Amino acid sequence: MSNSLSDAEARLALHEVERGRQRVIDQIGMPRWYWWGLAACWIVLGVLTDVANAWVVAVATLIFGAVHSAVSQRLLGGRRRTSGVKVRAEVVGRRAPVIVFGFLIALAGVTTAAGFAAYADGAEHPGTMASVLVAVMILLGGPRVMAAIRTRARGGTPR
Amino acid sequence: MREDDGFDDLIHPATRLSIVALLAAADWADFAFVRDELGLSDSALSKQLSTLEEAGYVAIERPVSERRRRVRARLTPLGRARFAGHVAALRGIIAASP
Repeated sequence: MSNSLSDAEARLALHEVERGRQRVIDQIGMPRWYWWGLAACWIVLGVLTDVANAWVVAVATLIFGAVHSAVSQRLLGGRRRTSGVKVRAEVVGRRAPVIVFGFLIALAGVTTAAGFAAYADGAEHPGTMASVLVAVMILLGGPRVMAAIRTRARGGTPR
Repeated sequence: MREDDGFDDLIHPATRLSIVALLAAADWADFAFVRDELGLSDSALSKQLSTLEEAGYVAIERPVSERRRRVRARLTPLGRARFAGHVAALRGIIAASP
C-alpha cells in the first residue's frame, strides 16, 4: 500500500501522528491540588516557625518532608497530572523532575532570605510573612514551570 | 499487513493511527481518555482496540482503583516497533517525493 500512498497522504498521516503526541504533551503537569496543598503546608510551617518552639517546627518539617517525598515520587516528573494517562518519560524529558526540584529548592531559599529580611526589618511574624510570599509564588509559579516543561516537550513551541 | 519498508496497513487507517500515535506518547492511557481525546464512541474505540490487541500491538489492562474498574490500553513492544517503522515509512515517502 505504501507504493500507492501520495506525498500529501503521507504528510497528512504524519500530521495525525504529531497531533497524537501533542494531545499527550498537553497532559504534562502536576494536579492543581498539589500546588494548593504545597502552598498551604508552606504557610503552616511559616506560622509554626513564629509561634511554636523549635521541636514542634522540627517535627512538623520532618513530617512535611516525608509526606511530600511520598507524594512527589509519583508526581514530580509531571507525568501524572490526570488519572487518565501516564505520559512517557522520554516525552516529558529527563530534565523535568530536576527543573521542578530546582524550583522547590529555590522557593526554600527565597523563604529563608525573606524570613531573615523581615526579621532584620523588625517584623513581628517574619516566618509567616515569608511563607505567605512563597505560597503565592508557588501558586503562580508552579503552573508556569509546568507550562515551560510542556513547551520544551513540544520542541520550544508554546501553546 | 506489514511491508518491507515498515509501512503497516493495520496501523495506517486514520482512526487506528490516531489511537496508536496517542498511545505511543504514553506509558498507558485510560479508555475514557482516548475516547474523549479522539471523539470516538465507546463501541468504535472498543472495536479498534480489539483489532490492535488481536494483532499484538496493544495490551488491555483492567486495574481496579478507587473501587472502580478501569480499562487501560498500552502499546506493546511489538506495537511500538511497528509504529516506529510505519512513521519511518511515511517519512521515507515524503523524502522520496520530487
